[in-house]
Amino acid sequence: MSLLELKNVSKIYGDLHALDDVSMKVEKGEWVAIMGPSGSGKSTMMNIIGCMDKPSLGEVLLDGVDIARESGKNLTTIRRDKIGLIFQQFHLVGYLTAVENVMLAQYYHSIPDEKEAMEALERVGLADRARHLPSQLSGGEQQRVCVARALINHPEIVLADEPTGNLDEANESIVVELFHKLHDEGTTLIVVTHDPEVAEVAQRTLVLRDGRLVKETVNDHFTGVIHYND
Amino acid sequence: MNKKRKMYFRMITASLMRRRSRMLIALLAIAIGATILSGLVTIYYDVPRQMGAEFRNYGANMILVASEESFTLEDVDQSMSYIKQNELVGVTPYHYETVRIHELPVLAAAMDLEQVQKTSPYWNVDGDWAASDGELMIGKTIASDMQLGVGDSITVTWTPSAGDAEAETTAQNEDELILDNEMEMTITGIVETGGSEEDYVYMSLADMETLTGTVPDLDIAEVSVSASGADLENYKNAITDNVDAVNARLVKRVTASETTVLSKLQALVLLVTIIVLALTMITVATTMTAVVTERRKEIGLRKALGASDQSIRMEFLGEGLLLGGLGGILGSILGFAFAQAVSINVFSSSISFRPLLVPITIIVSVVVTGAACMIPVRSATDVDPALVLKGE
Amino acid sequence: MFIRMIRGALIRQWKKMAMIGFTIALGASLATAMLSVLYDVGDKVNQELKAYGANITVVPKEASVISDLYDVEGGESSGAYLKEDELGKIKTIFWAFNIVDYTPFINVNAKLDDGSSVKVVGSWFNHHMELPTGESLDAGITSLRSWWEITAGSWLDEQAEADENAAMIGTALAEKTGLTVGDTIHVTGDVSDGSYRIVGIFDAGGEEDDQIYTPLNTAQALAGLDGCVDSIEVSALTTPDNELAIKAAKDPGSLTIKQYETWYCTAYVSSICFQIQEVITDSVANPVRQVADSEGAILDKTQMLMILITILSMIGAALGICNLVTASVMERSNEIGLMKAVGAQNSQITGLVLLEIIIVAIIGGAIGYVAGFGFAQIIGHTVFGSAITMRLVVIPIVAVIVILVTLAGSIPAIRMLLRLRPCEVLHGR
Repeated sequence: MSLLELKNVSKIYGDLHALDDVSMKVEKGEWVAIMGPSGSGKSTMMNIIGCMDKPSLGEVLLDGVDIARESGKNLTTIRRDKIGLIFQQFHLVGYLTAVENVMLAQYYHSIPDEKEAMEALERVGLADRARHLPSQLSGGEQQRVCVARALINHPEIVLADEPTGNLDEANESIVVELFHKLHDEGTTLIVVTHDPEVAEVAQRTLVLRDGRLVKETVNDHFTGVIHYND
Repeated sequence: MNKKRKMYFRMITASLMRRRSRMLIALLAIAIGATILSGLVTIYYDVPRQMGAEFRNYGANMILVASEESFTLEDVDQSMSYIKQNELVGVTPYHYETVRIHELPVLAAAMDLEQVQKTSPYWNVDGDWAASDGELMIGKTIASDMQLGVGDSITVTWTPSAGDAEAETTAQNEDELILDNEMEMTITGIVETGGSEEDYVYMSLADMETLTGTVPDLDIAEVSVSASGADLENYKNAITDNVDAVNARLVKRVTASETTVLSKLQALVLLVTIIVLALTMITVATTMTAVVTERRKEIGLRKALGASDQSIRMEFLGEGLLLGGLGGILGSILGFAFAQAVSINVFSSSISFRPLLVPITIIVSVVVTGAACMIPVRSATDVDPALVLKGE
Repeated sequence: MFIRMIRGALIRQWKKMAMIGFTIALGASLATAMLSVLYDVGDKVNQELKAYGANITVVPKEASVISDLYDVEGGESSGAYLKEDELGKIKTIFWAFNIVDYTPFINVNAKLDDGSSVKVVGSWFNHHMELPTGESLDAGITSLRSWWEITAGSWLDEQAEADENAAMIGTALAEKTGLTVGDTIHVTGDVSDGSYRIVGIFDAGGEEDDQIYTPLNTAQALAGLDGCVDSIEVSALTTPDNELAIKAAKDPGSLTIKQYETWYCTAYVSSICFQIQEVITDSVANPVRQVADSEGAILDKTQMLMILITILSMIGAALGICNLVTASVMERSNEIGLMKAVGAQNSQITGLVLLEIIIVAIIGGAIGYVAGFGFAQIIGHTVFGSAITMRLVVIPIVAVIVILVTLAGSIPAIRMLLRLRPCEVLHGR
């Protein structure tokens, strides 16, 4: 069974078909990039996978559960337990320090543990900046805090929405480097991006246009190399 | 669970401490509201007491009259023991006697010259208040009729029995040769009141004793008490029932009118307090709403991270509680300071601290702040986190 | 374009603007209500204090101490009287409007059938007067002795009693004679005698309780003193005394012409007394210190109390508005960062933000004024049972306060906005 499976998913706003009959599968440990121009339905798809929105039609199976049928409250629980989110605008709580922002995710998930949160920051190379407020961190550092926060609860899927959109090249490569590391550790990654360079490094690239899945590329540098790292 | 609680407090304190300027705005708003609440309520409760003291300007509101012939200073002292010391403004015993000045009969009132300044504060004395030892004051009418002025020396004559209309003088007085008693006195002041008080001359009880040779009996005692309505009625009854020699009576003109006017004044302050409070609380609420509305994005983020609506509400409520409590404490202090300033400026007396008002002020601030936070938090949690996060 | 932007801001952000407007309206209504009440509280409390009775007494110039003393000893009166037909003139003086009530008195000594002496007092009860101004006034002791408790019967109604042989007697006298309402009391005066029907018994808590009160002409007839009045009690609304009034009360002649005019044209108790003396022949009008002084003190205190409460509530309202304006302008940092990024000058941004806020303030202020006036009416009717006068002076005061406060609230926010660097704002840091 796939970790995530979309079956004939559509999202309709009035006359607009933001997603039009999309079907796809993501296996455990896979690294998938979703590409497409503005308005192609990337964000809608991201929101649906991230349990922040529900499709109008179709099924979304996450670990065998159809999240399209779940109530808002259950969606919150599923999101909390299974998904780690990374946003383009970082979205850190301005008055909490880096380590506290990481602990926030722990807090809502289970029990905050500062030591664990520090270890997560160490993994993204920010142990020395843990006590800084977001306003004192650079964009790349902020995004690394987000990555640490997304990972802290060991989610089934890490979902990143334009993670490099607000970053310069140096920081972009640091984040991409991090994704490599995560992938090597067996984390399932779904990265929504319009940057071909970021998409290229994924195992598989899906291209959306006008709400439809128009192209699927398997990047050869990964062919046949799938890690199961349980 | 302990760790969770620790994180909860860590977040709330971080929010308050690290967003200082915003939180100061909110705190300021709450503190103002709490100040107005505690200040106005303190004033409201103190108005009857303070204004009551002002109404003592009207003079005595109770008089003691003899239940039989006359009464003595001891009876007055005994009567006063039934009145709370801090409510007693003054008590003036009076003894009336007809004396002659320049061979013209005038009514002389002998009394306690210090107390009368408290029971009749409205007397306008041109010159000085008389003390003992041959000093006296005369009413304005007498002064103009007899063409007397301040500083004049006069001879006051008293004729036993003949001049003493009501005295059924003792047997020996009738047997003895009736001799006029005379006394040289100096006029220190002229009393102007616009009422019948202008027709008397005033001297101390001691001088009257010297003049007549006997300890003067009391005809009446004027009492000024800062109490009104039922309290005053109780004092009156207590004195009449317990002191045999005197009957206490209320001066209707003063007491009835005082109750009317005071109740209106208190109603005025009450209504003003209610309106000011209601409006202030709404202002506090809108400020809090504005401050929280700003944080819609943060609420969206917390939801995206998996926070339940419940826990987000708890966090904001926690902040509201802290802010409200802090503002309430601040407001209690400032409100008391304001009430004190008002009291000193308006009534030149200090105000009593009401401990009960502190918890009430804090509770009201907390409730208003909490309620004001909940409105925008609820509307923010109702929206999908994705929409909030993408936000304008 | 500027206008379009403002219109856009007002319409698109109507929720936020409505909230600011609402808060400003609240503040303005608070200020309006408090100021309206403040301006009127003196008059209202003054009216209430009329419960204490007259604050001016008028007696004949020649009345001497002797008469009073002989009264005590049961002798004759001295023979100086005021003229009844001059009574109406009191309502023609400069401060006639401030004379709310007055009543004449004539004291007559008479004897009851058992030979004991009794004082018969003639006065007005609810005397109806048509004034030359076209107004009418019901004056008399019904209102000037409001503290009398009517223990049986009712107040004597002068307008309803056809004959003049009705009377009210004090409780002490009623007890002594055993008479009650409906009985007839017979008294013999120096000139004539009369039988009066008792319509009411009062408890005054003083010497009046031993006396008989009849209409003025009834008592005059008893002593053959037609058209004569012993004294007049006047209840007037007065301004609390100040130094000028005290100086003038001693001797109006000591004032300069300018001071004299100020004094004469202010409703000090002494100037009203002076004016009464001008119209009543051979009279002396004196303030009743007990009432006049206390009134002054209580009025002063009440006004000061209200002023301080007003100041506090205005500070509260001002800070509330400031707060909200600051909070809501700061919220717009994104928009303003964008405007800067597309090349807006600081002055343009400031102008835009200020104009928006001012438009909202004017609308909110206008609504607040109306609401505040409503609040003032609630206070007036609930507490004093009468309306609060609408005073035009309140409008500019409230307008100035609202605009100043709104501007003051915007300044810190605007300064902060101007310091913003567009890139920081737009990158959401």
